[in-house]
Amino acid sequence: MNGTRWAAWLALPLAAALWAAIAGWLATPLLPGPAKVLEVAWQLLASGALGEHLGATLRRVAIAFALAMALGTALGIGMGRSRLLDAFCDPLLVLFLNLPALVTIILLYVWFGLVETAAVLAVVINKVPNVAVTLREGARSLDPRLEQMAAVYRFSHWRRLRHVWLPQLFPFWMAATRGGLALIWKIVLVVELLGRSDGVGFQLHMAFQVFDVAAILAWSLAFIAVVQAIELLLLQPLERRASRWRTAGVAHA
Amino acid sequence: MLELAIDGQAAGHPVLGTLHARIAPGDRICLLGSSGIGKTTLLNAIAGLDHGLPATMIRRRPGLRIGYLFQEHRLLPWRTLRQNLALVGATPGRIETLLAQVGLQGCAERLPDQLSLGMARRAALARCLAVEPELLLLDEPFASLDAPRVAELRVLLAGLLDARPEMAMLCVTHDPRDAEALANRRWQLLGTPATLVEVATGGTGAERAAG
Repeated sequence: MNGTRWAAWLALPLAAALWAAIAGWLATPLLPGPAKVLEVAWQLLASGALGEHLGATLRRVAIAFALAMALGTALGIGMGRSRLLDAFCDPLLVLFLNLPALVTIILLYVWFGLVETAAVLAVVINKVPNVAVTLREGARSLDPRLEQMAAVYRFSHWRRLRHVWLPQLFPFWMAATRGGLALIWKIVLVVELLGRSDGVGFQLHMAFQVFDVAAILAWSLAFIAVVQAIELLLLQPLERRASRWRTAGVAHA
Repeated sequence: MLELAIDGQAAGHPVLGTLHARIAPGDRICLLGSSGIGKTTLLNAIAGLDHGLPATMIRRRPGLRIGYLFQEHRLLPWRTLRQNLALVGATPGRIETLLAQVGLQGCAERLPDQLSLGMARRAALARCLAVEPELLLLDEPFASLDAPRVAELRVLLAGLLDARPEMAMLCVTHDPRDAEALANRRWQLLGTPATLVEVATGGTGAERAAG
């Protein structure tokens, strides 16, 4: 693996060099070079606009994410453990899974107006079915032998959830988190583009109206940087911490 | 403390047939029978894990404390031995004592996957004892261990049983030597569906103590 690691460091600089070459050759404001984009990004950062609008977007993502994960986890566990609930909710789940995000957003804006609640609710409605489907798989695969153990030793519901179920559900929860963040980011941008007056989506909308490609790329760059930071600083350490017990036994064997 | 009045056919049970028996405090019973006949099914039923039987067919004294040593250790692999024992209600001081009793002193912070098969089984035994069981169920406690470990565990179990004269034990095994070493009663499962026969009964432990 270490022998191929250098290749990963090659792709991005090569892509940037290619971009710079093409931009230099075309010399049009519709394709600014990397230097110009970085300059615009820097200006945005210095003026405080970057922090303000990224902050607004992040806040929406955080609220929508927390709500979607909580509701989806509860629904998924319920459907995985109860055949009745599964049979009842499954058609609804299929319906909502196939409902285009754009439709939910438009309908909620039409019904509730261009308000924050409608924006966040639209994102939550789009995400809950994905989380529920993933967690349902997890709840179905809970080890029945540990269920028997918990029954014999009369574990309370809370104790069973915390010590028996959640550790088994954690990988599914992480998968839902990863997929969830990626999806929620994108839907939040659309929500902002269509009906909010702050956030990265709103800024992209403004830049689009005047064909300010440098600003569009600068916002995208900032956005990607934040998503990567969350992955590296939050998700990966969390995953390492929760799966320590898995690697502990290998040393013994 | 426990009475079996199982009529499996009446309940539509796939494995168990007619089983009538009692377990009294101090009983040490070995349950014998060919593989696949339903020994584990019976243990599960006694532990209250078989939902295919009406509650009236297994009459447990209300609040009866049961410790069940499953064939696999069934410790929570993501919790240390200390946490596993604490989860069934053992106090910190008692955890050390219990682990020492099964020869695992100093292992409290280990995870189950860091133990050998024999150690994990003894850790699971410590968890059984942590609930101060009135009835101890053992499912093939000597399976897959090499001969020295079997001898060790047999001595360990005999000692633990001697120290708890009131505790009843029901042990699934196929080795008559286990019956010699640990039991004063012998149950045999026969046929399909399985029926229960008591072999060479010496009376209940209480009766023997009285006589």
